[in-house]
Amino acid sequence: MYEEPYRWIEAVENRRNYLDDQFMQGNPLIGVSFAQGILLLTFNRGTDKIYEIYDRIALGGMGHPADLEKLRYTMLDMAHVEGFQRSPADVTAARLMKNGLAPVVKQAFEEIYKAPYIIKVLLAEVGPTQERDRLFSINYDGMFEEQREFVVMAASSSIREILLKEWKPQGPSSSLKDALELSLRLWGIASVLQSAAPSSDTGEEDVKTDVLAPSSSEPTIPDDEAIASRIRETLAQETLECVLLDRETGRMETYRTLSQSELQPLIPQEFVPAKQQ
Amino acid sequence: MRQQGDFLHVLKEHGYGSETIMQPAFGQSVINPAELTTGTTVFAMKYADGVLVAGDRRATAGNVVMYDRTDKVLEIDRYSVMAIAGVPATAFEMARVLEHSFKYYRRSQLQDLSFEGKLRALSTLLKNNAPAALAGTGTVVPVFAGYDALEGCGKIFFYDILGAEFEAVEYAVSGSGSSTIRGILYYMNRWGDGPVAGLNEEDALIFVLRLMTSAAEFDSATGGVDAQAQLYPIVKRVSAEGVRTIPADRLKTLFSEKVLNHV
Repeated sequence: MYEEPYRWIEAVENRRNYLDDQFMQGNPLIGVSFAQGILLLTFNRGTDKIYEIYDRIALGGMGHPADLEKLRYTMLDMAHVEGFQRSPADVTAARLMKNGLAPVVKQAFEEIYKAPYIIKVLLAEVGPTQERDRLFSINYDGMFEEQREFVVMAASSSIREILLKEWKPQGPSSSLKDALELSLRLWGIASVLQSAAPSSDTGEEDVKTDVLAPSSSEPTIPDDEAIASRIRETLAQETLECVLLDRETGRMETYRTLSQSELQPLIPQEFVPAKQQ
Repeated sequence: MRQQGDFLHVLKEHGYGSETIMQPAFGQSVINPAELTTGTTVFAMKYADGVLVAGDRRATAGNVVMYDRTDKVLEIDRYSVMAIAGVPATAFEMARVLEHSFKYYRRSQLQDLSFEGKLRALSTLLKNNAPAALAGTGTVVPVFAGYDALEGCGKIFFYDILGAEFEAVEYAVSGSGSSTIRGILYYMNRWGDGPVAGLNEEDALIFVLRLMTSAAEFDSATGGVDAQAQLYPIVKRVSAEGVRTIPADRLKTLFSEKVLNHV
């Protein structure tokens, strides 16, 4: 029944709707490039979502854990074989994304007789200098974007446009505390917006007209109290997961999970849940 | 189903290992083993804070000195070191396979490979390499030292060319200059002032430099210490804090004060 082109388009459209629904409950993931490296931040309910791929590369995922696991292995195999047979310097997030991940994800999405990957993936590569940091995000349909300063992964990809207004460039004097504070705030905004939107990513044009961005007015950033209370609630119920790709370690390997005791003093007071204050 | 986290398997799926240059047919020696670079001195010994692993810098082929800045003490990961004696092409390749195997295991399985697992990995590589080792073109006789996090202590292992693994209680040596060192270590432990394993870091380093100088005295394939050219052995320390390279400046000071001018 899918032989006719319009049937196929219809099937792909159904797939989009189905997949978009899958991400509504997901936790946004934020990646921020700052002086010391790249900070990746999300919350989890037990299963980690940020993983080490190679010396300078980390992966963050949203969606089905089994699909993420499969793609994580694809990335690991590619990176390590390349790093072994050529050199660690030849393993880049750009190549992993463009040659490895994107074609696989796109193909799975368009083969309508098979199950698609229910995932959105973020790849971060820390460079020797901040200018050479690279952040990639890929949607379930294989569309990917390259960013330099920050990346957000959320149920709707239009959230990035809104977060851009809140973005503060992290200059050479930016500290881990600054980066964490900003990342938490961006996460809070993304999370509030995501739960306010009934649907998203239903095509290029629709995105602009859904609740996130009503055609009549500019998209609005939730007020500070709404953001803070969302972060407080989540901090109380879920685990804050932060990974630092640290360009200043002096070692080949840059990936480090920040421990809860390390994170506690860095969280701004207004975000700390009441009982912990 | 493939063994989870096995990097060698992943490599083979990508066509690695089908090259045959390292494995000539039995009985047909393509290269005269004497022309291969095998001479060296590497050793590992326990001391008060952990393990010191040292290697000279010389690479030889027959009686030709090929290179004077070889690093034969290779850091495989933060907690383990492999000192290599034998054919460098194979030895360096093994080190690279191990390094990537440990990384791959840690990243894919989300836990560190156990110390036992690391030893097994090296043993497997040596076993796979047996045909080349027996043909004389790929002989590698490594010393492996690492910190065993489960037991909380530094450990030393040595291997034969077929991959049999032996744990050394106090020290392990390998390479053409090793018999000299073995003799001195035996003597010191038996009739010296006390077991070498009890030395503090400074005394142990002085001892390492003296051992290397002695090995170079009796083995032309061992580089020893060349103070004039600023060439000191590579010495690495393995302890609970991980692997640390002893800076050449420190070796230089100790060498001139306690080895060269010491009576």
